[in-house]
Amino acid sequence: MSIMSYNGGALVAMVGKNCVAIASDKRLGVQLMTVSTEFPKMYQATEKSYVGFAGLATDSQTLSERLRFKINMYRLREEREIEPKTLSNMISSTLYEKRFGPYFVEPVVAGLNKKNEPFICVMDVIGCLNEADDFVVSGTSSQSLYGMCESLWEPDLEPEDLFETISQALLNSIDRDCLSGWGALVHIITPERVITRTLKGRQD
Amino acid sequence: MLTFRSPFLVTWGYLIKSFKPLAAVTIAFSMNSMSQYAETFVSGSISVPIEHRFYPYTDNGGTSLAIAGEDFCVVASDTRQSEGFLINARYSPKAFKLSETAVLATNGFLADGFALVKRLEQRLEWYKHSHNKPMSISALAQMLSTTLYSKRFFPYYVGNLLGGLDENGRGVVYSFDPVGSYKPEVCRAGGSAAALVQPFLDNQVSFKHQPTATRTLSLEMAVKIAKDAFTSATERDIYTGDYLEIFVIKRDGITVEKMELKKD
Repeated sequence: MSIMSYNGGALVAMVGKNCVAIASDKRLGVQLMTVSTEFPKMYQATEKSYVGFAGLATDSQTLSERLRFKINMYRLREEREIEPKTLSNMISSTLYEKRFGPYFVEPVVAGLNKKNEPFICVMDVIGCLNEADDFVVSGTSSQSLYGMCESLWEPDLEPEDLFETISQALLNSIDRDCLSGWGALVHIITPERVITRTLKGRQD
Repeated sequence: MLTFRSPFLVTWGYLIKSFKPLAAVTIAFSMNSMSQYAETFVSGSISVPIEHRFYPYTDNGGTSLAIAGEDFCVVASDTRQSEGFLINARYSPKAFKLSETAVLATNGFLADGFALVKRLEQRLEWYKHSHNKPMSISALAQMLSTTLYSKRFFPYYVGNLLGGLDENGRGVVYSFDPVGSYKPEVCRAGGSAAALVQPFLDNQVSFKHQPTATRTLSLEMAVKIAKDAFTSATERDIYTGDYLEIFVIKRDGITVEKMELKKD
């Protein structure tokens, strides 16, 4: 039993044409038992950026609260919103502070910077940043997600096409994973607004 | 000594217990007659057992997939043979034509894969001579299952995919586990990148989560899907790459297509 597969979960983020999408499943489990079917793993960091945490659920909640504090302090000090790239570096430092007793999460950051350029990245448990210009995946079904995203993604997808692509990638991957499922939540971040949609997949 | 002996340990390998001498220790007596304590050491050698062990399996990597259509079957395998980070061969085919209607793809420990194919080919010959007709794919699947189970306690370390046409000319894929459990399916991926490829097949061949898609799959689409699946798997799986061999089984025979994959 690995600690990263104790609660289960799947996260994916993709880059489109002037937009990003981030999606997660909604299951929370305790090993083989499902405890909640309304537990999306994403949190809104700023108006145009989202952070998701795959891995141990308690660390996911703790980190999201700590980050909320840090983002608010940043806003008070700098008198502006934090950029996604800076936010991901902040999360990376927060994780590395616990180098020898880590938070068991693999965060995913997705957002648009002040020039509305897309940004996505994923980190490991101790904060190694991995920025990508196509897609990033995290969670118990990461292998399936890699296969799906690698086949389905193409550059410069419009927001609606990106929604279809990320939804198909996530839904088919979590169907092959016992610890992820019970539907999905997708956020599409565009310069004008954030579109949130709930997907009903296999409810098992 | 081993107090628990699993059935596997007896047959999987052999244990050599050898003995090596510890450094000799000498006796020394204190020469001072006034001392009441004599320091004593033990002399001679003491033996300690060390274990030598032979592990009979290794993982040679590689990926395969099989898709069954209405009147065709596609079986595709990459050709990289590796052991850990070392590539042993860039072109070592893992899919074998067994009869005019069946192709077997093996993934896992290749020596067991080759041995299994050899056994099956022999049995196919015997069947053809004693029954005066070639073996049907369902009979071949059952024979493969019993062959695998006959080594239940020292298994053939391979995952098998048997693809071909049944007696009615419809495509069928049988997937096996290493000890012979099998069932007929529409599509299946096996090997190191199975987790990457299988959801893609579910989506594109079985049309899962696509309620408005057409339900029939043409041969051209199936081959295209196989090629795309492998190019994606090659990107993200280090054990997959080099070349791709696609076997297409149709009523009029079996054709093979070889395609380049990334060699990094």
